[in-house]
Amino acid sequence: MNRDRLVIVDGIRTPFCRMGTDLAALGADDLGRVAVNALLTRTGLDPAVVDEVIFGCVGQPAEAANLARIIALRAGIPQHVPAVTVHRNCASGLESLTQAYERMVAGRGEIFIVGGAESMSNLPLLYTPTAARKFAKLNRAKTLGQRVSAMAAFRPADFNPRVGLMLGLTDPVCGLNMGQTAELLAREFRVSREEQDAFALESHRRASLAREKLAEEICPVFVSGKSVVTADNGPRAEQTSEQLARLKAVFERAHGTVTAGNASQITDGAVALLVMSEAAAQRFGRKPLGALIGYAYAGCDPSRMGLGPLFALAQTEARYGFKLSDADLVELNEAFAAQALAVLKGAESAEFARSALRRETPLGHVPREKLNVNGGSIALGHPVGATGARLVLTSLKELERRQARRAVATLCVGGGQGAAVWLERIL
Amino acid sequence: MNNPSDTSVAKADSFPHIQRTMTADGVCVLTFDRPDSSANVFDRATLAELDRHLNLLEQDAGLKGLVLTSAKKSIFVAGADLHSLADASLDELRDLIEFGQKVFNRLAALPVPTVAAIHGAAMGGGCELALACDWRVASTARETKIGLPETQLGLLPAWGGSTRLPRLLGLPKALELILSGKVLAGQSALRCGLVDVLAPKEHLLAVALLRIARGKPHRRALWYFNNWLVADLLDLKLHRDLKRRTHGHYPAVFKALEVVLESVSSTEIESFAAERDAFLELARGEASHNLVRLFLQTERAKKSSGPDAVPVQRTAVIGAGVMGAGIAQWFAARGLPVVLRDIGPEQVSRGMATIAKLFAEGQKRHACTATEARAGLDRIQPATSEASLANVDFVIEAAVEKMELKKQIFQRLADESGPNTILATNTSALSISELATATSAPGRVVGFHFFNPVHRMQLVEVVVGRQTSLEVVQRAMRFARQIGKLPVRVADRPGFLVNRVLMPYLVEAGRLFEEGARVEDIDAAMIEFGMPMGPLRLVDEVGVDVAQHVTRTLADAFGDRISTPKVLGWMIEKGALGRKAGAGFYTHNGKSITTNLTAHDFPTTFEAARLTRPELQWRMVLLMLNETARCVEEQVVETAEDADFAMVMGTGFAPFRGGPLRYVDHVGAEFVVAEMNRLVGLGLKRFAPCDLLRRLAASGEKFYRKEEEHEQHEKRTA
Repeated sequence: MNRDRLVIVDGIRTPFCRMGTDLAALGADDLGRVAVNALLTRTGLDPAVVDEVIFGCVGQPAEAANLARIIALRAGIPQHVPAVTVHRNCASGLESLTQAYERMVAGRGEIFIVGGAESMSNLPLLYTPTAARKFAKLNRAKTLGQRVSAMAAFRPADFNPRVGLMLGLTDPVCGLNMGQTAELLAREFRVSREEQDAFALESHRRASLAREKLAEEICPVFVSGKSVVTADNGPRAEQTSEQLARLKAVFERAHGTVTAGNASQITDGAVALLVMSEAAAQRFGRKPLGALIGYAYAGCDPSRMGLGPLFALAQTEARYGFKLSDADLVELNEAFAAQALAVLKGAESAEFARSALRRETPLGHVPREKLNVNGGSIALGHPVGATGARLVLTSLKELERRQARRAVATLCVGGGQGAAVWLERIL
Repeated sequence: MNNPSDTSVAKADSFPHIQRTMTADGVCVLTFDRPDSSANVFDRATLAELDRHLNLLEQDAGLKGLVLTSAKKSIFVAGADLHSLADASLDELRDLIEFGQKVFNRLAALPVPTVAAIHGAAMGGGCELALACDWRVASTARETKIGLPETQLGLLPAWGGSTRLPRLLGLPKALELILSGKVLAGQSALRCGLVDVLAPKEHLLAVALLRIARGKPHRRALWYFNNWLVADLLDLKLHRDLKRRTHGHYPAVFKALEVVLESVSSTEIESFAAERDAFLELARGEASHNLVRLFLQTERAKKSSGPDAVPVQRTAVIGAGVMGAGIAQWFAARGLPVVLRDIGPEQVSRGMATIAKLFAEGQKRHACTATEARAGLDRIQPATSEASLANVDFVIEAAVEKMELKKQIFQRLADESGPNTILATNTSALSISELATATSAPGRVVGFHFFNPVHRMQLVEVVVGRQTSLEVVQRAMRFARQIGKLPVRVADRPGFLVNRVLMPYLVEAGRLFEEGARVEDIDAAMIEFGMPMGPLRLVDEVGVDVAQHVTRTLADAFGDRISTPKVLGWMIEKGALGRKAGAGFYTHNGKSITTNLTAHDFPTTFEAARLTRPELQWRMVLLMLNETARCVEEQVVETAEDADFAMVMGTGFAPFRGGPLRYVDHVGAEFVVAEMNRLVGLGLKRFAPCDLLRRLAASGEKFYRKEEEHEQHEKRTA
């Protein structure tokens, strides 16, 4: 067993762009390749020493089975380096990191390239099962008569595609889509529309102010040689609360509070991190950005998946003793403003601590100055497989700027889970 | 008397080139496996061996069939041995042709089914061998290429190919293949009927044996193609096309046309005799000599000399302009990762756009597949700032031609890169030696000059600076070969070799225009000489401003011989910069090119208006010859051969003339010097012949001596 710590040596991400805009022409494999390539160039690492490539992706492209492998080969990593793709919904980016840690502990390697890549623009449209059966029959038809009768069986409804994006964002077990779970939390934790919009506005404001800081973690993407994308296009500096107030609720028409403006944007992007055992990093000779000092994944009620972070944080406190107040920075993924605010309220609530978390004291209060200081997914966008890695990268960079010590990155996960990862800057 | 039935394997030592085995079913397999070589070629000894095998086979009553195949990794039979061809006397050639025809005819006359099982290159004589068989099966591998490229060497297929191919494929297709010398991959060969079936190389023999089981083929005579009417029509059309394209400089294609067309109205024997006579006539000519020599030179240039070193594995290109992008694309297409750097993301992005376009064009030309194109693009890592160059083996700079800027770049490069990184520059005008002084590692600085467009021009001038280490020069030469280019070492003088020789020539073209000659006449004169494009058109392609800049740089160095023509400055003022601006000496409208009327507006004198095209041609050609001779005199290149090779490969100088100095030998140095002196006598001082030319004219010596050629040949293949 390798009892070393896992350190994050360096990281880089592509710009995050709203679906259907600047990066829409690139598949998840292209985005991942660009990020890994940029990481290798920046660090000067010889790709032959990598022990494994682990990438998170939710909407795994049909034409790039095992996305991590495709990314690795296309980025020039030699054939002998194995690769695996991981999927823990929105926490896939974190999953890639913690799996690298577990491999290291098991003695299965010391140097890994991890991260996540997502092209939500390119999620497929699917035929209904009825239509798919009719296509299969048509394919099998040999004679002219068979073909004609197979074709005659199609109805207009068969050509109505099922939208992969919508399917992916709906939990089949509880029957609610993500936005509906956020509405549920908004009602139960009494998060008003105004509070949500204010939170969203703040996310945009902080992300816009942090533009130059964020540029440090971004590599340019050349889109089939046509133009170069160098910055996120999600944050809106000129966003006003009046504009947000005008938007209609999307998931519950009548009395809903969750709108497109106070929900995370649907976005394309990729993140790549170079992680190593601390010993290997010393041999490599580069001062790492930080170390992974603890993590947890916890399950919870799928219809209230937004509360996942609370369960995960409770676990990390129980296992490692890290209290929420120990964190100098908190990156709480803004899947929805309603969800993030519900988490903050839940963290302070003694009632919630006792009934749901089975502990005496609440988790704690998170001051706004520590929370998502450079903006969050509402402004920057949430390419689901990649976000976890972005939170790690951005919090480490900010720890360095503030010369602070510890950060926690935590996400809610569709299907009812929470993930939390604790990071410490290396002095 | 041989008893064939109990000789299952012929004695190996009496058949060193072609091994024979028998299958259990009585089929003989002859495997070509030339000792100590990676290729199979037909020299007289190999033909004689095949002849002896045929003796045994003809007498073997129990023979069921014959398969011809090769043991080499990527060559079936590559054709006649060109080295012996180049040195043979006419009698030896006649003997070789007649013997080859006889042997192949015996093969074709065998009563049993015969199959050529082709994996790898089957060109020229190798293809003719296959044509003499009943069936041809080929492997699906990339290495498999079949064709008759003899016309590209100024010859024609004379071992039965010009007769058998039209009978097999019909006149139109056969002519297309023979006249163009095009070489076909497996799929194309199958499609046009040149091969009968394709199979993976591991199954080739099995498939060949299946064919034998089918017996002899019953091929329909292609009477609807191979008749005198079609022949006459083709003659009319092709004659005109060929004349237009070759300006009468390549007699081989006309002779090949004649022989192939005649073949359909004559018997095989008559046609074979015609092939032989045509071949001998062509072999006597200067064009074929020069083309064969050029081919052998090219083959030599591809071979590495010296110990096998570690190949270059990682590269970087600084500057994403037209040349930088072209170089980066070439490296990436050859499997090398490239870091592409420029001063900002916009510049790099434009470079990436150029590279994507080059790959797309390559795909259209079938030079690469879609997957290869994407893999090539993946290899290019665009970088705008600090990209670690420590692991890079070879960096080449192709940025703006300003010495101060380049010095800064190289200073940084020397510090950023590892101790073994080669620091190359694509500069065409600046001094390598001076550039090197600005760095902390002058021994690693070398010139590596590509020609435009990178993907078409094979030449690279490797420029040796004063402090460039020998090791770096050798590694640079090896790298050029590694990426499929042909390197020539040149000294660090202004213009190196090619641009320096071109300059007086282009300046003269400009001057003739200023003196009243017409654009069309000037360019046509040089195309008729054998240049691929006229000088004024070349200026348009390169860019009038670029041409002026280079001229000025060289004028500084060479003063009176090269002066910048005023018309260039005038055109730059009018914005007529050439193709990139849409108009220069010509108006460029997409594909169409017409003479630009604006150019006619330049006020000219009339001294040159009455010069005929030959006179115009001679003026421009003489200056090229003179400058090339000077370059040898001043040891800008080591040998006349290097100079000629570079001029043909770098400018497309009439290949059938062998190069400027070969041409001087051909017309005679005395004649050249006399002509130049005549022009000097008319007041044109720039035509003063250089010392070397005058010496050769006086002594009757030539640039090339027969024995010297032999020595060089031995030295280079050692």
